[in-house]
Amino acid sequence: MANLQQSGTAELVSSETAKTRKRTDDYLRRLPWAFLAPALIIYSVVVIYPMSYSAYLSLFRWDGISPTKAFVGLDNYVDLLTQNDVFWIALKNNAVWLVAALLLPTSIGLGLAILLNSKFRGSHIFRSIFYFPAVLSLAVVGLIWTWIYHPDLGLLNQVLGAFGLKALQRNWLSDPQIALYPVIIAATWNSVGLPMLLYLAGLQTIPEELHEAAKVEGAGPIQRFLYVTFPLLRETTLVVLAITAINALKAYDIIYAMTNGGPANRTQLLSTWMYFLTYNYNQVGLGTAIAVILFSLTLIFAIPYIRFMTRKT
Amino acid sequence: MIQSLAKKEYLPRQSKVALFYIALILAGLIWFTPVITLVLTALKDAGDFARNGAFSFPKSIRWENFSEAWETGVKNYFWNSVIVTSVKVPIGIVIESLAAFALTHMHFKWADRVFTYILIGLIVPMQMTLVPLTLLMNALNLIDTLTGLTILYIGFGVPFGVLVMRGFFRTLPVAIVEAARLDGCSWFRIFYRIALPLALPAVVSLCILDGVATWNEFILAQIFLRSDELRTLPLGLVQFSTQFSTQYDQLAAAVLIAVVPIVLVFLVFQRYFVTGMGGAVK
Repeated sequence: MANLQQSGTAELVSSETAKTRKRTDDYLRRLPWAFLAPALIIYSVVVIYPMSYSAYLSLFRWDGISPTKAFVGLDNYVDLLTQNDVFWIALKNNAVWLVAALLLPTSIGLGLAILLNSKFRGSHIFRSIFYFPAVLSLAVVGLIWTWIYHPDLGLLNQVLGAFGLKALQRNWLSDPQIALYPVIIAATWNSVGLPMLLYLAGLQTIPEELHEAAKVEGAGPIQRFLYVTFPLLRETTLVVLAITAINALKAYDIIYAMTNGGPANRTQLLSTWMYFLTYNYNQVGLGTAIAVILFSLTLIFAIPYIRFMTRKT
Repeated sequence: MIQSLAKKEYLPRQSKVALFYIALILAGLIWFTPVITLVLTALKDAGDFARNGAFSFPKSIRWENFSEAWETGVKNYFWNSVIVTSVKVPIGIVIESLAAFALTHMHFKWADRVFTYILIGLIVPMQMTLVPLTLLMNALNLIDTLTGLTILYIGFGVPFGVLVMRGFFRTLPVAIVEAARLDGCSWFRIFYRIALPLALPAVVSLCILDGVATWNEFILAQIFLRSDELRTLPLGLVQFSTQFSTQYDQLAAAVLIAVVPIVLVFLVFQRYFVTGMGGAVK
């Protein structure tokens, strides 16, 4: 009897602990979700849900106000590709912008990083000087450069005049043939900082001995760069290229501040044209279709980047 | 660099170093020309600007440019930016750190999938969200409010914040967390008594980077703020420039007022920019 009672109690006790263990297990399994909940909820509501809903809206003809939307399938996309001239200008501008962004800020950033990586008196000051434009908002960068390009009072035309190059003076931001390029230069000024910073961080990880060894072998500075430094910066370069490309496709503020898409829509990007169609012309279907196209272009660069970021280490 | 320059024997070492510095200082000056132009313009009066252009020393310094720009509306823009930034950044960092901690130390089966889901936000062009957000904010009566804008900023800040904090928490030794677990410490206590204090450098970095990004944000403010008195600085400045397009002196002063806080933060916390971006790539 006593035995029975004892074993019964033991059983009871053990089932009790099993139950609490199960309860704590459940609790522990759910706990990470509790930690994640605030971030995940607001992120999903503000970013993911609107993103998916935009893709859905791109299948409708809608002015953004009326209660009914007309389902048109892929017509918005067909319209853009076949009847919307500005869409093609914007797409071409995006391509030019992208190529410039992949070449200019990245190579200037790499050059500066290599130059400023060695410790010499004042190297920190120079790093700050070259990084500084990166902390300014693109709207501010746009405003400052608009003065530089001012046809009469702007620094650029003044300098050209002072050097006797009056023939090269232009009305930089109102000349439809060239207006995009001054804007790209201004954007480059702002976007050199990030690649420089990333390359500086990358250079820190290259052991000095490798350079010494290459030097002993008789490699000159150019060979050392080509065969030692650059190959070891491969990962950094991948990240730099991906981030610059993604940011280039996001460009918007600086266009808005400098040219507002003009003259004659010559400096529209997909991002600004999306804004015009949606908010000025109430063509919500076309606008969201452009957003989807822009996002798909971003994915080309983003997928390798995300793979890299989530790689197993 | 200097050594390698000096190795070649064309010139004596001293003059090579001097050449190196001269080249670098020249490049730095050219690089900084836009900033110098801005400062010079902000300090001179409109007549001086019209006669001599932007890039000349002011005949007399005109401090009134700043007070006039401030009173013409920059005051409002400035305080709106201060409010939005100072509410967004702390709330963002708390929720982002909580999430990053769960993704790194809580043996969470879904960690990789959730992290990938969060990373999508880093690459989404803002345009992809604008229309549905307009509908949503309209429905919630949050259009044209700083509260609404702040909520959007917190949401859009999640991916970068989680990325930076996760990068740091990954370097936090598992042994510390396990030891605290064995001592019966709850996960939440481990988070705010151990992980967060140790992550202080990352938290500061994120504060700076996030603060600057919020201070500079344009497109969401442009879409979701309608009335002039609610505008934040970047939006207000662009508006100011279209309204007072010929008053370059005041506009430059206004821009300078917007830039000064950023410059101060940058000068004081410089090294954190590097740490923060480093964390984002790890």
